[in-house]
Amino acid sequence: MSKRRKKTAAKRKKTSKPVSRGWIGRFWRFGLLLVGVFLGLLVPWVIYLNYQVTTEFEGRKWDLPSHVFARSLDLYPGALLPVQDLEMELKASGYRSSNELSRPGQYRKSGNSVEIFRRSFKFHDGEEGPGRFRVRIAGGKVTDITDLAAGKPLDLARIDPAEIAAIYPLQKEDRTLVKLVDVPQLLVTGLQAVEDRNFKHHPGIDLRGILRAAFANLKAGRAVQGGSTLSQQLVKNYFLTHDRTIARKFNEAIMALLLELHYDKSNILEAYINEVFLGQQGAYAVHGFGQASLFYFDQPLNRLEPNQIALLIGLVKGASYYNPRRHPERATARRNQVLSAFSETGLLTAQEAKKQASLGLGITAKPRSRGTRYHAFVDLVRRQLSQIYQEQDLKTEGLRIFTTLAPSVQEKTQAAVTEGLRQLEKRGLSPTLQAAMVVADVSTGEVQALVGDKNPDRAGFNRAIHARRQIGSVIKPLVYLLALEHSNDYSLVTEIEDEPLTLRQADGSNWSPANYDEKSHGGVTLLEALTRSYNQATVRLGLNIGINNLVSRIEQLGVSAEVDAVPSVFLGAVELTPLEVTQIYQSLAAGGFSVPLRSVIAVQTAEGNELARYPLRMVPQPRREAIGVLNYALTQVVEQGTAKALPGLLGRTESIAGKTGTTNDRRDSWFVGYTRNRVAVTWVGEDDNSPARVTGSNAAMQLWAGLFRQLPFEPVDLRMPDGAYWRWVDSKSNLLTGKTCEGAVQIPFVEGSAPSRSTACYSAQEKDEESFWKKLFGKKKQ
Amino acid sequence: MLFPVLLVTVLVLLSACAATSGPAPSQGSEVDSRVRAPAKEDSEGVQVFPLQNPAVKELLADAGSAESAGNYNQAATLLERALRIQPRDPEILQSLAEVRLQMRDYSQALNFATRSYDIGPRVGEICSRNWRTISVSREHLNDHAGSVEAEQKAKACMNTKPRSL
Repeated sequence: MSKRRKKTAAKRKKTSKPVSRGWIGRFWRFGLLLVGVFLGLLVPWVIYLNYQVTTEFEGRKWDLPSHVFARSLDLYPGALLPVQDLEMELKASGYRSSNELSRPGQYRKSGNSVEIFRRSFKFHDGEEGPGRFRVRIAGGKVTDITDLAAGKPLDLARIDPAEIAAIYPLQKEDRTLVKLVDVPQLLVTGLQAVEDRNFKHHPGIDLRGILRAAFANLKAGRAVQGGSTLSQQLVKNYFLTHDRTIARKFNEAIMALLLELHYDKSNILEAYINEVFLGQQGAYAVHGFGQASLFYFDQPLNRLEPNQIALLIGLVKGASYYNPRRHPERATARRNQVLSAFSETGLLTAQEAKKQASLGLGITAKPRSRGTRYHAFVDLVRRQLSQIYQEQDLKTEGLRIFTTLAPSVQEKTQAAVTEGLRQLEKRGLSPTLQAAMVVADVSTGEVQALVGDKNPDRAGFNRAIHARRQIGSVIKPLVYLLALEHSNDYSLVTEIEDEPLTLRQADGSNWSPANYDEKSHGGVTLLEALTRSYNQATVRLGLNIGINNLVSRIEQLGVSAEVDAVPSVFLGAVELTPLEVTQIYQSLAAGGFSVPLRSVIAVQTAEGNELARYPLRMVPQPRREAIGVLNYALTQVVEQGTAKALPGLLGRTESIAGKTGTTNDRRDSWFVGYTRNRVAVTWVGEDDNSPARVTGSNAAMQLWAGLFRQLPFEPVDLRMPDGAYWRWVDSKSNLLTGKTCEGAVQIPFVEGSAPSRSTACYSAQEKDEESFWKKLFGKKKQ
Repeated sequence: MLFPVLLVTVLVLLSACAATSGPAPSQGSEVDSRVRAPAKEDSEGVQVFPLQNPAVKELLADAGSAESAGNYNQAATLLERALRIQPRDPEILQSLAEVRLQMRDYSQALNFATRSYDIGPRVGEICSRNWRTISVSREHLNDHAGSVEAEQKAKACMNTKPRSL
């Protein structure tokens, strides 16, 4: 406008003073040229800036990461939960130890009693408000829970789950996006109070603010206030440069105006909150309040207290100058300035502001290692979800994903892998050994923990899900299962030959399997052959069973793997992943009820509406009576077979079922074991599949024991299903015998497979042994 | 010691006890008329039930209310939560089977009832509910012979002594 006025004025001058054509005329022509050039450049420049700023803004505005939650911990009298496990779970959920217990998200531990101020949370099955309760624990078990407000006992309470990951496209930038609605009100209003009080009204630049700042700076003799609006600061953050030139200020102002032209205030504020620079972690810049909250406090933004919000807002002014880890005094002073601004503007009462200012900074000593916790498990989550969702949706729709991860079990599993491999190295095994481990709930198929690398923090090749390795003797139980299903021919006490044999293979070569101890053992029972993992006996048995039956049984148990129908399959020449092995053994451990392993139980929209549920589904296996008998045999592997060192490693004698596995040239070490409620699979070997001098019991079982030493567990349930029952058998002759006879052991049989002959000691009254009580309680352990 | 502690009680069934042994019935459903009611009637004289954790009891009651309100998904979610607390509780598994029956998911109803039977007491009311659920499910799955056989087994649940082997 003003330029045009000048132009017409110039014309007028021209006509009124035609005589003066000399230097004045030249001056005006030159001036016109300048104006023309300026306008000619300005318009495209503004268009260019407009393009830049809108691209930048649009590019970041819409994406919301999906939030991945661990399972929520149920607390109830009788729960097996040592105090240290409860504390581990609380910490994973972002709870902090505090003497005050004045806010949700705090806990107070004294001896065996833990008081918890639970936050409100939208669980996958409904919202629960905040609440305070006390949990008492004795002997590793919760004895009682008291609602502290009502002073009444509680039968059931739960903790809001740990957030284990945010699935976001720009993960490398370390950003935890937040939606404006999820941002604490105090942050939204406080930010404006401190940085831009006129935010709601100005058009992008705030002349009054600039004047006020200039005046304040003049008065103080130094720069105490900035006049930049939040919009200008946002632009500055988009194109972060450090030159403080007039040209940059000019660009910033134009872009801020353009932003306000295109977008409304709430969008701009949301972008600001997610964009502003708030710290530096190594080479990575910490952008946005969501990320800063994790970086400084290891807490999600919506769980911060007023003094913490004040600190973050204070950091906007200079994240490195006020770095609370490096300069705590400066940071405290700045935070308190912000708190007084809060009280000035009525956001906090003077009293509350004073109280908040008296608190410590509450920052963690060092930031958590960047990014997702539990990469390997999150891989599994992505895999399950990818069957339904596009990767793009996971990254942008802000889904709330409820998973089955048990943080304390995961932490212990990671520690068991890392520590276990360190011990193996000490004992002379290769330092390059790798490992994977999967832990699942037997009855529900819920994956509680998963480790795919010896360094659990490393995201990369996930051996638990992707490493296909030969499973060795871990397959043998299936051969014996098939035999037990042929109850006319086989029982656990049926004798088979463990003698050398030579088989002609498809390529014309001969194959002569040897036993691990390079001996043959002659006539052995099925039970002995399985518990001691004899190869020759197993191949002989397998040949009678049929390779194709074995292959289809593997499929029936929930794993579709390509299996060559060659006799070496009986000894585990089948490549499966640890996760697939877990699936097979889940079926056995659950007495023949296969449950597809799950890592996700529900998915909600960002607003908390249910999108999908993954309910428990189970498929009964045929001939579950044979599975019952097999389960007993696998407890004998631990009691007297290849895994007999396990009880010593655990320091416990309860029944555990297990199977070791070793492959040719000791390349792979496997151990599969289950208790009543948990099944866990461990693999150890070299990535390049080179001989690793490992066996099932010298490596994988050690890691497995390292985990279960730290887990509360109950013994395997050995009650037989219908169609199988316990009998007393003479341990030498394998004939039926009486309970009180010498050498009597109790062995389960599939109906019709028990020995028909009996010892002399066997008395008629023993026939009534299978009494009503027996039937109910099954085998009693001696 | 190896086995879930079961409290086996032979008693003349009191109606008050019966009312707490399962989710509150919703009106007029197949589950009530063909599973719960006859099982209850059959089990007069014999009752076998596990000692239940109060947390599980609470969740079962909530699931019962959800089921009565026709909110089967929520009922199933609550029962699964209970199952995490007591993974081998035949009552929870049978309740899940009944919710599946309400949802007309007959194959899962069948499977849950089978599992409940396998790890359950195999006598008494639960046993009868197990087999009746199996019977109804099989019928819907067009296994009529299997359905009749299951019906017979439901009746055998009331023998105080298991069949001789």
